[in-house]
Amino acid sequence: MTANERKSFWSERLPIDWELLQHPLREPVPYHMNFWWFALGGTPLILLGIQVATGILLTFYYVPSPPEAYESIRYIQNVVPFGWWIRGIHHWGATLMILTVWLHMLRVFITGAYRRPREFNWLIGVGLLFATLAFGFTGYSLIYNQLSYWATTVGTNIFKDVPVVGPLILSFLRGGLDVTANTLTRFFSVHIGVLPTVMVILLAVHVLLLRVHGVSELDPKDTRRIVFFPDHVLTEIIVGFYLMLILTSLAILFPPPLGELANPASTPLHIKPEWYFYPVYRWLRLVPGTVGLVGAGLFLLVLTFWPAADGLLERWFPKRDLSVVLGSLVAVTVAAAMVWEAFVV
Amino acid sequence: MNLTIKRILVIILAILFAVSLVIVQYWEITKQRPGATPEAVVSAESQECVSCHEDVDKTPNLVVAWRSSKHAAQGVDCLSCHQVEEGDWDYFLCPGATTPVASHPTPKDCAECHEQQVNEFAGSKHGATAMIFMSRSFDRNVLEPTLTTKHGCQECHNIGHMWPDQSVGECDACHAKHTFDVGIARNPYTCGECHIGPDHPHIEIWLESKHGNVFTSFPENWEKLSYNEDELEVVPFNAPTCTTCHMDAAPGLPATHDVGSRLAWETQSPFTIRTTEAWGGGLSWEEKRANMKRTCFQCHSPNFVERYLLVGDLSAVQYNEIFKEAKRWLNAMNEAGIILTPGFEGLAPFTVAGYDEEPEQVSYHMWHHEGRRYRHGALMMGADYTQWHGIWDLQHDLIEIIRYAAEAGLPEAEAWMTSGDPAKFWLYPFYDVPGSAWGIDTIAYRKSDEHTTKILMNRDVMPDYWDRVYANVQALYNQGVLSDDQWDLYQELWENRDVENGQVFPLPPDFQVHAEGLAADKEATGRQVGELKLPYGGAWEWATGEANAQ
Repeated sequence: MTANERKSFWSERLPIDWELLQHPLREPVPYHMNFWWFALGGTPLILLGIQVATGILLTFYYVPSPPEAYESIRYIQNVVPFGWWIRGIHHWGATLMILTVWLHMLRVFITGAYRRPREFNWLIGVGLLFATLAFGFTGYSLIYNQLSYWATTVGTNIFKDVPVVGPLILSFLRGGLDVTANTLTRFFSVHIGVLPTVMVILLAVHVLLLRVHGVSELDPKDTRRIVFFPDHVLTEIIVGFYLMLILTSLAILFPPPLGELANPASTPLHIKPEWYFYPVYRWLRLVPGTVGLVGAGLFLLVLTFWPAADGLLERWFPKRDLSVVLGSLVAVTVAAAMVWEAFVV
Repeated sequence: MNLTIKRILVIILAILFAVSLVIVQYWEITKQRPGATPEAVVSAESQECVSCHEDVDKTPNLVVAWRSSKHAAQGVDCLSCHQVEEGDWDYFLCPGATTPVASHPTPKDCAECHEQQVNEFAGSKHGATAMIFMSRSFDRNVLEPTLTTKHGCQECHNIGHMWPDQSVGECDACHAKHTFDVGIARNPYTCGECHIGPDHPHIEIWLESKHGNVFTSFPENWEKLSYNEDELEVVPFNAPTCTTCHMDAAPGLPATHDVGSRLAWETQSPFTIRTTEAWGGGLSWEEKRANMKRTCFQCHSPNFVERYLLVGDLSAVQYNEIFKEAKRWLNAMNEAGIILTPGFEGLAPFTVAGYDEEPEQVSYHMWHHEGRRYRHGALMMGADYTQWHGIWDLQHDLIEIIRYAAEAGLPEAEAWMTSGDPAKFWLYPFYDVPGSAWGIDTIAYRKSDEHTTKILMNRDVMPDYWDRVYANVQALYNQGVLSDDQWDLYQELWENRDVENGQVFPLPPDFQVHAEGLAADKEATGRQVGELKLPYGGAWEWATGEANAQ
């Protein structure tokens, strides 16, 4: 079979315009994409892939029912070959994913990449941030140890203070009055079914919008270009290898703890959610319940519709780069609140 | 703002986030690591103590122990317990320190937070252990210098320490300082520091019991001893330790620091008595027994518990009859001038003249050692302590006393020694219960000329055996020593004794197999040992002048 024959064999059976398909791969992208710190959007995507792969492996053994949930994780950790590694990567992958989503947002924010005509994509991005946080929250509760059990309890309890519908939301999240087997099954279902679906749809729209708009220019004067494939893809692959190296190192040096089996009858002395909720938890502990919740809600609202708020700022205080100052302040405050909460007993 | 500044800003913020994250994650993982020290909260006043005592030559482990305690995590620090006022008996200023401290925190200090526990403890038998130092008996003081008792008996009896500040007790006898961990207090080896040895081998009884065996078979049980009983309805392990039954909470039963509040018997004293309302928080012995049974019911059925305790209870009072018999022989010897020491008229075994004659010493052992072993073994599933270290030693010593009297020429003792009547081995009045809590045994009471030893098991020597023990148990009940329920149960078992004793059931076929096996062993012993005569003999042959001596 000659090369031509081979080609016609495939094009006959898969009548697709390959030239057209290759077009987006060859798209020129700005030169700054060569640097990984300007390519942070791709990092959460790589991490998502790692999370999906390790997550599927974990479901081979995980049992979403108390107290077997805890026992099955102990089994993964201690008995399953490389189970500790897979779990360690999944744990640290989640942590890095949230971190890199933040960093990506930060970069987009500081460089004003959300501005016209990319406002919608910022909105989608905020949706992806929420989905990532929801992934973390539901995933952590699946461990069913003392800390995760009580973190789930206080985490879901936050919604109780939502005006009017609070108790209803709480009962829906928990599947009853308390965190029980019902909570575990619905969190599992959300974690491995609902959230991945939502995430993939949002991501598809996010990337599609990115491609039709093109990557935002940092410096209009810089006309240098690289090709998406292979130049940028290779950068991302290198980032991927580094990530695996970092994740494996973290899994070995700081293996995720298993803790004690959840005991709904024994409230630990100090209850805390996972670290990425520390800033908001600190805030909620500083102010009364409903005030805290409404405040946090307002913050999220402004964050979500930031492009519109930014438009107003630009109109009122042109050329002041107020958004950069404000964003940096918020970033520093969030980091400080996180560290503060970690050290408060 | 130009692009370069923005770039630098992004990098700086990214690093800031990454560093914050690393700090937080490291902190979190350190806290969750198994055995991680909980965060200690130190007040400004106590900081001086902590800083100084952390030095290598100033008891640093004391601080380490405290840091790992629940106290530390809840802000109960040095001065919470070591608070002192000028003029206090234990006022002490550490060299180089500015804050004076109390060198000996007492139960009064613990009562600041744990008032109920301290009060319960002070009123309990544990709180009364120091009373022995005022005892009028001479069995110790003659023989043991107080120098020795300070590091001997006092170390245990000081659990009822009577302090200058009028408080009573020694909390850290069980809640070892400075962790004060409830898990240590619940550890059976903590009780076993004192409840050990020939006179009250409680840790040994527990270890040999099914309770101890099952508990120690699951190593994870030790990890669970620190459980918080305010939040658990049943104990989180599958077999009890000492405190599970005597102190810890059970469904419907609060935890107590009065170790007597579940005890229906006083079994360490020379004679077994039902506990009086002077002990155990003013409860009657029936109420105390009901408390104890609530702990049993976490694992055992009422049927088992009632039957086990009926046998245990009758064993506890069976001892009285044995010891009363010993005292009767001792008094007879005193009257006959064989032993010089009077003073066996009352209930106490003590004598102002001390234990200077052999039968007195033997009687002391009957009460203080084997009598307790027998009673406590029978009430706490210690089979070997009920049997070999208990009743066997008791009966052996009773016969020793009679033998001593016979050798000294007491006519009644001589008559006993020389008699061939098997009925003479009924040394004292008996109690018995038909059947057993463990289930019907077809062989225990079986009458068989061929296979039963005449003395111990063959009730033919006493044809009205069951009528007699019935009358004895009835007399006990009439004296108020058994409850109505126990007497009802006893009568039910007695009426049904042929079934309970397994008399109506055929023996399993294995009985015959084993009987033949035992007969074969007997025959083999005769052949291999009895019929064997070696060409050269030993001392006997030497003494009798037989030819083939070595």
